[in-house]
Amino acid sequence: MEHSNNILWIIIRRMRTPFLVIIITFSITILGLVLIPGVDNQGHTYYMSFFDAFYFVSFMASTIGFGEVPYEFTYAQRMWVLFSIYISVIGWFYAIGTLVALIQDQKLLTELKISKFSKKIKSLKEPFVIILGYNHTTKELIHRLSQDGKRIVVIDRDQEKIDELELENFIPEVYAIQGDITTPDILRLAGITKRNCKAIISLFDSDFKNTKIALISKLLNKNLNIIVKSTTKEQTEHLKNLGIKNIIDPFHLVSNRFSLALKAPNLWTIEMIIFEHNIYIHEYKPLPKGKYIICGYGRMGKALKEALDEANTESSFIDLKSAAHKATKKSTIFGDAEDYKTLIEAGVKEAKAIVAATKDDLINLTILLTARKINPDIYTIGRENTLDDITVFNSAKIDRVYILEEVISEHVHRLVSMPLSYLFLKELHKQDDEWGKELLARIRKKTNYQPEIFEIRVVKSQANALTDYLKSGNSMNLGLLARSLSNREKRAQIIFLIIKNRKEQITLIPDDNFEVKVSDRILIAATPEAKDDFISIVNNYNDFYYILTGKEYKFGIFKYLVKDEKKDEK
Amino acid sequence: MNTQKVIAGFFIILAMTLNFGFFYGDIDNFAHHSPYELFATIVVNLIATILKLGDKTQLGSVLLATSLVADIQLLSASIVWGLSEYVATNGIADSAQIIVSLSGGALMANIVSVILFMSDTIKSKR
Repeated sequence: MEHSNNILWIIIRRMRTPFLVIIITFSITILGLVLIPGVDNQGHTYYMSFFDAFYFVSFMASTIGFGEVPYEFTYAQRMWVLFSIYISVIGWFYAIGTLVALIQDQKLLTELKISKFSKKIKSLKEPFVIILGYNHTTKELIHRLSQDGKRIVVIDRDQEKIDELELENFIPEVYAIQGDITTPDILRLAGITKRNCKAIISLFDSDFKNTKIALISKLLNKNLNIIVKSTTKEQTEHLKNLGIKNIIDPFHLVSNRFSLALKAPNLWTIEMIIFEHNIYIHEYKPLPKGKYIICGYGRMGKALKEALDEANTESSFIDLKSAAHKATKKSTIFGDAEDYKTLIEAGVKEAKAIVAATKDDLINLTILLTARKINPDIYTIGRENTLDDITVFNSAKIDRVYILEEVISEHVHRLVSMPLSYLFLKELHKQDDEWGKELLARIRKKTNYQPEIFEIRVVKSQANALTDYLKSGNSMNLGLLARSLSNREKRAQIIFLIIKNRKEQITLIPDDNFEVKVSDRILIAATPEAKDDFISIVNNYNDFYYILTGKEYKFGIFKYLVKDEKKDEK
Repeated sequence: MNTQKVIAGFFIILAMTLNFGFFYGDIDNFAHHSPYELFATIVVNLIATILKLGDKTQLGSVLLATSLVADIQLLSASIVWGLSEYVATNGIADSAQIIVSLSGGALMANIVSVILFMSDTIKSKR
């Protein structure tokens, strides 16, 4: 409403003078025509009426020109008309020119865009998520979230980025607007105060910006799930004090993952499965035990050092700063004679693994390649900063690559789309490796290849039949739900990972006797067929009936026409 | 002194005075009501309307509304005049009352407009 008013306001403001000019020229010319005497057919003097004059001026000014009415003009009249033509045509041209300029007016176009966007947001009834900034990380995130059918609103400072996003043609449509992200106005426009706005995601490089956004968002909407990136401990602490729960620290995440891989490879494998990495296809080599060398002692290097210390692994550093390296060597390549010496001094020959963790992808890559030249057996671990360079890293056959952007986007995706899996990972980190080994064996046995991870909530919209059944006072255990739809005697290839009930109580790996209650949330790993079966069972009355009784559900007249097959009753 | 205020005030008050000039006189005697005066009233009213456009304040909106009312009344008066002179068969004298009373309505709107304008001026501290 406010913005459509703005459009009208701009138009009125601009058209004021042209309107005035037209009214004045019209009134002058009309008055002149009325006052100047003319001669009619019989030679009598006559005066034009106001109607005649208005009629004549209307077609004269718009240059239509029907001729001299009602009678042929005298010379005095013609002189006045000549003058009138010039002033009225100027008036019209001025008005039309202003109107044309108005259509191309940048301010008006912006207002139009804003009003269109605001209408879209207003008509958005489904839950949605606001993502700030459009870059590699958020693009990846939008792809993931769109696949889950989530509705997304994007704000970016740069109109070019918005155009780029519009060319991507995400389905469902992603609403995007250009604007200064740190102002409350634009956030309000994007619907931050709406009840169906579920989360706001701010993953900028600048911690300062993220904090500012977190603060503003918190004030604008208390119930919002605010997901912000933070790259230092102080910042994380600061955000926690503000009451922000979901803080994404990419270095911390990588370090956690790294230490998990060192300490508990089974748990690490489960984590990879939860993130749906294709570990069976990629054939990850496990991290070796022995001495590690870390190149680059920035935030990433420090985080990895912590992870190594935690796993009691010996490590040494090469303090390498990408910016300084580029400045002194005037090249983004690591590997001249001096660099060789540095590596050998750091002990590359005896080391089991080398980590390249600088901010520059090319330097990281050349460090690893140089190290491999000196010690061909060394295990290479690289930090990749942007998703752009992924093919280069792949073809260089680096043993393990940590892509910060991907780590961020997959974590945020889980947080938004599958919060239970995030909870599961938290629980997972508390367990020991033996527990992980057992679970991993089960996952492998039940779903011998990559399982699909999905989350379901026992509510009408997600589990129709089951919810109705439970609401009418019946009880149901997980074992019965985990049946194959083709033969109910067989167990489906499905594993229940974690259940969270209405009172936020958690059950990790519930067994088959666990009784499901209404509004429980369940995280499940299953083969694609088992997933389809399960979703059918909990939603479809006929399938649910079959699982309960072993009989086909018959409705209406079929109850009397079709007899039960008796084979089940033996 | 604010030039814009002077111009706006001039046209708003002129619209009312011209309107009154046309309205004043016997209601069914056309000798008392000049078509030139009606024409001037319409033109000045239209100009006053344009001058009031684009004021976002509460008072500005009400002023604009009064002007629009006056415009509609005066334009319908002139349309009635034109119709009775050229289209209707029973002569112009019958329509005099309608035309004059329409302009009387416009006068009311113009008076309200002037009162609002004055009240704003009185309230203003500068």
